Amino acid sequence: MNVVELKSVTKRFDQFIAVKDLSFEVRQGTIFGLLGPNGAGKTTSIRMIVNIFAPDDGDVLVMSKQVSPELQPFIGYLPEERGLYKKMKIGDQLVFFANLKGVSSSEASRRVDDWLKRLELSDWKNKKPTDLSKGMQQKVQFIGSIIHNPEVMILDEPFSGLDPVSVDLLKSVILDLKQQGKTIIFSTHQMEQVEQMCDDICLINHGRQVLSGSLREVKRRYGKNTVILDYEGTDSFLGVDLVKQHKRFANYSEILLSDGADAQEVLRRALEAGARVNRFELVEPSLNEIFIETVTGSRNRAQVAEAAR
Amino acid sequence: MKKVWVIIKREYLVRVRTRAFAIGTVISPLLLLGLIILPGFLAQRGGGGERYVTVLDQSGDPDLFAGLKSRVESKNDSNSDEEFNSSTRFVLTRQVVTAEQDPRELIQSQSSGSGNKGPDKAFLVLGPKILDDVPPEYHAKNLSDFSIRALEGAVSATIAERKLMRAGFDASKIGQYMKPIDLKQFKIGAGGESTEGGMRQDFMVAFALLFFLYMSVLFYGIFVMRGVIEEKQSRIVEVVISSVKPTQMMLGKVIGIGLVGLTQIGIWALSAGLLSMFGAKLFASQGGRVPSIPLNLLVYFVLYFVLGFFLYATLYAMVGSTVSSEEDAQQAQFPVTLLLVVPMMIFGLVMSNPSSTSSIVLSMVPFFAPTLMMLRIAVINPPAWQVLLSMAIMLATILGFVWLSAKIYRVGILMYGKRPNLAELGRWLRYN
Repeated sequence: MNVVELKSVTKRFDQFIAVKDLSFEVRQGTIFGLLGPNGAGKTTSIRMIVNIFAPDDGDVLVMSKQVSPELQPFIGYLPEERGLYKKMKIGDQLVFFANLKGVSSSEASRRVDDWLKRLELSDWKNKKPTDLSKGMQQKVQFIGSIIHNPEVMILDEPFSGLDPVSVDLLKSVILDLKQQGKTIIFSTHQMEQVEQMCDDICLINHGRQVLSGSLREVKRRYGKNTVILDYEGTDSFLGVDLVKQHKRFANYSEILLSDGADAQEVLRRALEAGARVNRFELVEPSLNEIFIETVTGSRNRAQVAEAAR
Repeated sequence: MKKVWVIIKREYLVRVRTRAFAIGTVISPLLLLGLIILPGFLAQRGGGGERYVTVLDQSGDPDLFAGLKSRVESKNDSNSDEEFNSSTRFVLTRQVVTAEQDPRELIQSQSSGSGNKGPDKAFLVLGPKILDDVPPEYHAKNLSDFSIRALEGAVSATIAERKLMRAGFDASKIGQYMKPIDLKQFKIGAGGESTEGGMRQDFMVAFALLFFLYMSVLFYGIFVMRGVIEEKQSRIVEVVISSVKPTQMMLGKVIGIGLVGLTQIGIWALSAGLLSMFGAKLFASQGGRVPSIPLNLLVYFVLYFVLGFFLYATLYAMVGSTVSSEEDAQQAQFPVTLLLVVPMMIFGLVMSNPSSTSSIVLSMVPFFAPTLMMLRIAVINPPAWQVLLSMAIMLATILGFVWLSAKIYRVGILMYGKRPNLAELGRWLRYN
């Protein structure tokens, strides 16, 4: 079942088209990655799902119904631009957020206690945000967005500014929620996290969809065109005819092959040049690569189209 | 509606629980009370001390000085005359000067050098033709002293007395002829009945109501604006409007803060009531007067506060939503605040002539109605239709502005950076 569905959605602000003819589906119980460079239209799309904006054209469906204020209690939203009331105690704020979603105060304060305990914030319940570190505030905001136990959670950069321990803690909470059948829409620029967590992705650029599907399928589509090579010696053996892109890291190189180039040829030339090869692996491109490739590619195509007009 | 209630509750509790609210509630009436009572009190008690006046007498009429001296001294002691409430005791000494001498030279010679009697020394010149309409002169280092008016009164009365005597009136009866007459003042009420009152009392009540209304609307209006800016700056808006409509958020905020204002006014009204009941006696025994505020005026006050607050709060909310910082807000709020300040600059016109066409028209303008109509109600009893009409116009304006502000607000709260110009604001109205 699709919990969230966008059908040919368009949103304009004056002359500017923020989202153009965008469609995607989010299956229940999955983690969906909504990706794209800055200004691609992610936030606008999300705001239409949470009923902050109405689309100019097309339909936004949540749990198979046109999105409306009645559906808002079923959605949890952690915006990228988020904050807390400075002069309000943490516990009171969370109860307020729950109240806004229709949860009674007594039920809300019970849940607040549970969540604060789970995210190791119990001692801070009666403190004000100014007493908390930025990371702690982030965790409080996260609780605020899920305190009403929503069916769909939209998390925009949920890990930014968190230390690795807190990131792990939040990840386990999110995966737990997925286990319970909740649906999560996840928007981030950190592709490693998408690779670790997402089932499906949709990549948008200039308000249009440029790539979508299950993560596995998307990666397979790109094929195994990347060589991971760990070697000692010169890299002069790599000819321009073989290599589209060459990234040197501290201990290894990531080599994106030219179309039609044979990976074995890279290995042969390396040995011929007398390099010591410690590791040779043919892999699918990282999502990071796919992201950059697709975004710059679509930008180039857009420029070509622009020039042709 | 339930969500609006949640917002109202938060806005109300967060503010009422602060120390600032408690302090503001207690301090401001004390401040105003101080402003009303203190000057009179100080004048009565504080005592401006003694003022030594050398009377340079060229009149050649010793009785003139004697009359003046006794009049001034009796006033010094009696304290009954309102003008002489102003404390200063005059001590007159006579210096006979011939008509040929120039009194100004004398003054100069006595004032230069390290003076013998300190800085308070003053001179009163009674010229040779003082009884023939050549005015007396007063020379002193300090002229910004209201007590001079008291001296002026005494001199004027004494000269008039001397003139009457010269004209042949019976000296024993002149005092009786010259007794000042008090105009007894009666206010015609709504039912046509007259009750004794006074311009001064009316003025004080009207001014206090006007001032409090202005302060409350301004204060709580700015509160709304700052609340909106705080939510924008702390980036909490987006979380909230994913749960409630921006219009509900705005209304909740306006109503919540309005209730805070009403709570404060309620406390004030209650203390004002208690003060007129008990305080009046207390102060009356000390010679002070505490004006009592009629109940119907308090009801109108609350009504006009609610209407005025709603009108200005929606405007301030709109302004707050379009800016990203307090600094920007300072500029953007100016037109709104100006609308509120204008009646405070022209209220004198309305107070002195509350039934003129211009006063009626001004008190109908929705932005001025809360203050100016309140003033007219306090000073005269305008016809009921005028009061109702002003309220109806305000209500219609409020509805219009709630609609407009809501449209601007829902776009503005998500916009950061540059302040929009009017054309951009116009385009916001068309967004879905």
